[in-house]
Amino acid sequence: MMEPSLPFDHRADPELGAALRAALEPGDPAPFVARVLAQAELTRGRRDVPTWDILARWARAGIAAAAVAALVAGFAVGRAMQSGATLDDVMVASAGAGANALLSSPRAPDASVVFTSLVERER
Amino acid sequence: MRSDPPAQLPGGGARIPQRDEAELAARARAGDRAAFGTLVERFAPQARRVARAVLQNPDDADDAAQDAFLSALVKLDQYDPRRPFGPWLMRIVANAATDRRRRRAVRQAEALEPELAGGGSRPDLDAERRALGERLRAALAQLPERRRLAVVLFDVEGYSHAEIADILSIPEGTARSEVFHARRTLRSLLQDWKEGE
Repeated sequence: MMEPSLPFDHRADPELGAALRAALEPGDPAPFVARVLAQAELTRGRRDVPTWDILARWARAGIAAAAVAALVAGFAVGRAMQSGATLDDVMVASAGAGANALLSSPRAPDASVVFTSLVERER
Repeated sequence: MRSDPPAQLPGGGARIPQRDEAELAARARAGDRAAFGTLVERFAPQARRVARAVLQNPDDADDAAQDAFLSALVKLDQYDPRRPFGPWLMRIVANAATDRRRRRAVRQAEALEPELAGGGSRPDLDAERRALGERLRAALAQLPERRRLAVVLFDVEGYSHAEIADILSIPEGTARSEVFHARRTLRSLLQDWKEGE
């Protein structure tokens, strides 16, 4: 083993290999294997929930909020048409903070905003 | 010049037939837990040693090896069954170990105890082996990471220079050079040890 090795020496050195192997030996593999397989099961369990299920869960709340907002908007437009007032008139008349937030926000309405706008209209 | 991989691993263990590996990988990809378990059992010692060559600390190394197996499970559809599984997996192991080392502060390699470093009394063979192991680990820790990995992959795990080049994403000539320089350092340490006996 101790002869100087050439850069192109493609043979493994059994003595050095055995010494390094002993130095790096990690011990009993069984607990490690069990740990990896248990973790793999957990990972697999998480991956088994289809992405569409997760998206659908997120979407449900959004759809409910959008339906309530559409209902409120429809009600407001209907009232405006009955009274001959324009939508702007209705907006001005019901210009509470909740309604403004509901109709001017570029984002999907939060449930609390929808509720606030409904309460404002009841006052 | 491409060197052929040895038919047997230096430690005496035979290489797993490639067709067998590919079949196990395909079954594991299809959700066969037993097939994945077999792959983990077969490659766990190797993965843990390679990770330990990077991280030194055995617990960190096991964490990295586990990360690598889980990552491999997710990426099994990227494995080319026409090629051996070991180098593909070892590439993931080496990357996982390197990532972990980068994320964590590098732990100080344990200083050699005076009697181990200085050739003090060595009451029995086991103690001698432990001491040699300590010295080798300390010597490995002094090597650049790529060199450390190269020599472990070559002399311990039996990979060819070409496979090591593939695993470490370096040219084959660089892989040869890394193995050569690492061996020179480690052999000199072993030689000193033997002469001190």
